[in-house]
Amino acid sequence: MELLPQALADGVMLGAIYIIIAIAFSLVYGVMHVIDFAVGEWIMLGAFAGFHLNQRTHVDPFLLLPVVFVGFAALGYVLQPLIQRVLSGHKGNPLLMGLVFTFGLSLMFRGLAQTFFGFYSHSTPSRFSTGSFFFEKGGFFLTVSSVRLAGLVYAVVITGVLQWLLKHTDFGLGVRALAQHKDSAGLMGVNDRRTNAFVYAIYVGISAMTGVLIGTILSVSAKMGPEYTIFAFFVVVLAGMGYLAGVPAAAFLLGIIQSVFLVYLDPGYTLLAVFAVLYLILLVSPTGLFRKGV
Amino acid sequence: MNDRRLLGSIAVFVALLLLPLAVHDTFFLRVATEAIMWVGLAVAFDVLAGYTGYLNFGHSAFFGVGAYTTAILMMRAGWPFPAAAGAGGLVAAAAAVVAGLPTLRLRGAYFAIATWALSRAVQQLALMSSLTGGPDGMRLTAYLQPRFFYWVMLGVVGATFFLLWFLLERAPFGLKLKAIREDEQGAKALGLNPTRLKVQAFVLSAVPTAVLGGVFAYWVTFIDPDSTLGDLVSDQALVMVVFGGMGTLLGPVVGAVLIFAFKTVFWAYLAEYEVLYVIILGAVIALSVVFLPNGVLGTLRRRGAVRRPGSGAPALTTPPAAEAGAAAGKGAA
Amino acid sequence: MRRALRWATLVALTVAVPAAGQEAREFFKVGVVAELSGDLATGGNVTKRGYDLWAQAVNEAGGIPVGAKKYPVKLFYADAQSNPSQGAAAAERLITQEHVDFILGPYASGVTIAVAPVVEKYKVPMITGSAESPMIWRQKFLYTFGTVPPVNFTGAAAIQTLAGLSPAPKTAVIFGSNDTFSKATAEAFEGAAKKAGIKVLKFNIVPAGQDLTPLMSAVKGMRPDLVAFGGHDEELIKLVKGMRQIDFAPSAILMHYGVTEPAFVEALKDDANQVFGGAVWTATTRTKSEILWKDAPSYEAAARKAFGVGADYTQAGCSAAGIAFQVALQKVGAPPPLSEAKRAELIKALEAVDVDTFYGKVKFATDGEFYHANVGLAPLTVQIQGGKVAVVGPKKDADAAAQYPMTPWSKR
Repeated sequence: MELLPQALADGVMLGAIYIIIAIAFSLVYGVMHVIDFAVGEWIMLGAFAGFHLNQRTHVDPFLLLPVVFVGFAALGYVLQPLIQRVLSGHKGNPLLMGLVFTFGLSLMFRGLAQTFFGFYSHSTPSRFSTGSFFFEKGGFFLTVSSVRLAGLVYAVVITGVLQWLLKHTDFGLGVRALAQHKDSAGLMGVNDRRTNAFVYAIYVGISAMTGVLIGTILSVSAKMGPEYTIFAFFVVVLAGMGYLAGVPAAAFLLGIIQSVFLVYLDPGYTLLAVFAVLYLILLVSPTGLFRKGV
Repeated sequence: MNDRRLLGSIAVFVALLLLPLAVHDTFFLRVATEAIMWVGLAVAFDVLAGYTGYLNFGHSAFFGVGAYTTAILMMRAGWPFPAAAGAGGLVAAAAAVVAGLPTLRLRGAYFAIATWALSRAVQQLALMSSLTGGPDGMRLTAYLQPRFFYWVMLGVVGATFFLLWFLLERAPFGLKLKAIREDEQGAKALGLNPTRLKVQAFVLSAVPTAVLGGVFAYWVTFIDPDSTLGDLVSDQALVMVVFGGMGTLLGPVVGAVLIFAFKTVFWAYLAEYEVLYVIILGAVIALSVVFLPNGVLGTLRRRGAVRRPGSGAPALTTPPAAEAGAAAGKGAA
Repeated sequence: MRRALRWATLVALTVAVPAAGQEAREFFKVGVVAELSGDLATGGNVTKRGYDLWAQAVNEAGGIPVGAKKYPVKLFYADAQSNPSQGAAAAERLITQEHVDFILGPYASGVTIAVAPVVEKYKVPMITGSAESPMIWRQKFLYTFGTVPPVNFTGAAAIQTLAGLSPAPKTAVIFGSNDTFSKATAEAFEGAAKKAGIKVLKFNIVPAGQDLTPLMSAVKGMRPDLVAFGGHDEELIKLVKGMRQIDFAPSAILMHYGVTEPAFVEALKDDANQVFGGAVWTATTRTKSEILWKDAPSYEAAARKAFGVGADYTQAGCSAAGIAFQVALQKVGAPPPLSEAKRAELIKALEAVDVDTFYGKVKFATDGEFYHANVGLAPLTVQIQGGKVAVVGPKKDADAAAQYPMTPWSKR
């Protein structure tokens, strides 16, 4: 019982990392209707970028976040038309084609990373890595690590920025219109190609930034991608595909499931629980916990 | 597929049957055995993916279920190999029905993710259970007879191929599946029972995969959750089918042979650059989606060979749904 | 069209396969089956380096002496792709296509178990410098040997050293990742802890690669003296980082050989200090030898020169595997190519090997549960001190005192 606050807090902080991954992923799905299999690889590439930049410039990774964002967003912007071409191909089943295409991309990126970055794991140091807060009262105690708290703050900030972008700007209006009804939006003057490109760019930029963060909190390696792809899928499906407001709850739920298993139950079954929950939710409510998915 | 092509396939099959009598190189036989296995896995995957339009990202689970059932029955219960492999197929069929009924209600991406989640859950179960040996995997008694395994693999894949040829290209079943793929609601309106058909397709996809898994287990003599329940089988089958051409019986065969040949040549002669293989494979997949959306076979066909109705290309005459509906009207759906 | 394609591929494969030919050679053909790609590529490449270094050194000395002549060695690689079935295919290719005389084996136990029946069938001797699972030796393969002692042989030693420190640890929390090696390591730790009278407060096998911080937060409250973890490189880094983040410093943290890998210290920097590990060889072990490298530091220097990075005991074990073959071949006295009869003699010679190498003593057991594994080595307990690996146990091999209990993170 005394462990409960700790388990919950840890779950929340684990969840914070997943939120950002999932929000961007869900946005891309909602607007472009593509499931990006390569989301984990974007995170991995961002993590390596953060690691190497930090090694070279000795600037704290948190300060490097904007740089990484801009660089990767540009990359995403350039790459997007290719994906668009895949999705609007004459062959039926654009969803499948998008999936397979991004799957191919993910293999390529992983191979490239192994070739150029080697097989070893790394860790990106930060001034936040070493602090923590400790509270104790009666039988209860709570340790909160600074760097994970910073991750939570990051999650809140990005969510806020995206929220503002979507609700209070013309660009955001265009994005939401496109997600709702592509053809009408086009008729209303929304340039779908450009908007899509921007959305994808933002998504890649955000994923890469999250990678930098993960490199600081956890580790960096060429093989780290698939795990985060799994978690992105899980959160996005649970939240309801394309339904951004559901992401935080779903992300925290994932974090708490993991945390509870690790603390209270047999940790060996953690992943089994995650996959089983994902499967069951899909059966019971494919449009997500809140039934608001696309 | 017309009869000329069927005759051609039979001829190739007979040639393959006789191959070990002419070629004694055991390594070559091993490569050929594995190539044949992949042909079978790709074709089985295509039943659900290409014909019915449902992407089963958990295809590996059937392979692993077959492998482990065979291993457990042989090593812990002393069953002989044929019975154990057959049992593997039966278990997979049952699993396909049990899992298929609820899961096949989902569409498109949801079905893909659900099957993937389910197969990962199965992998976790195998990792945690002592019956399956957990992460240590299981060892089977070594029976290293290359010809035996070549013929068994060829037999299973051949039987699968010709059975599916009959069911999907001759009997109305294939058309009915395509009707579901193109327009499920419409198919229902025409009197078809999509749920039953989908589950049947799922079972047809599962059983050969599981039996091949059982043969694989006995052949390699060692299985573990990573090699048999991981994503490798699903991923490669997907790539082979997409690259070769979906919704055709020969597309997956072509895709499997080409990709496997490429992989083997690379592996055998460019072992130092193995990492490049992953990059190239990824690039090949990505590029073929962009430039070869109908797969190699589809593109070759479009280039000048016979134009087949209902192969996934837009129909020129009667849409498959109507044809299937007509077939359903004539006999049992 | 498809027919043509199929025929073409079959013909291509047949033609591409080189014709058999067993003419006399002036060199030994050595097959290397290693995980050059896939999930285990990190370890597989370390293994390859060990074999490469041996081949280089032996050739520099002119080759393996057989009779009056010296025969150099040529390595032929086949990638097991971190997959048991590919490993078996790799071995088959090396044996039937390249006609190798003997094989240097894979990094991972699962791959080794699939390769072993193949080398058994063709009667080609294989030594693996790395695979450590006790499962392999229980199968009693005649043609497979290993220079690294099984993990249950070595895991216990580290606990024993720690139990001998003062103040003695009384409680422990032990974890392992759910893969063959890590699980066996954790079980070895648990068994040894119970034997040493240390109370195991919690023992769990966790899914590989997980973020274990919530678990560590819970464990922190139990205030154990010792935290022991069996896992692979990336998991070890994440665990220490996690413990740092929640400011959890027990009296001792024990892992396995992963701490000796350069990536560990490089990633964690100062945080790596004072972590304990188990190993059978370090760059400072006091071994003496007359073959190729006279002691551990010489080998380490050679490794640095060739690859720019220090060696861990997997790499060392692999070079030692080459040395074992070298010694046995000298005894058999057969020039290449080796016939089946000569290879059988090689097996006998390997069973009789009892040699001191830079790696330590290589002597394969000929019966019992460690059949054909190297039982000549004594396990060592190491600790990272000042960014370097130091041997702290057993007493007769120690070159530094253990820094114990651990300095709390905040005081560093």
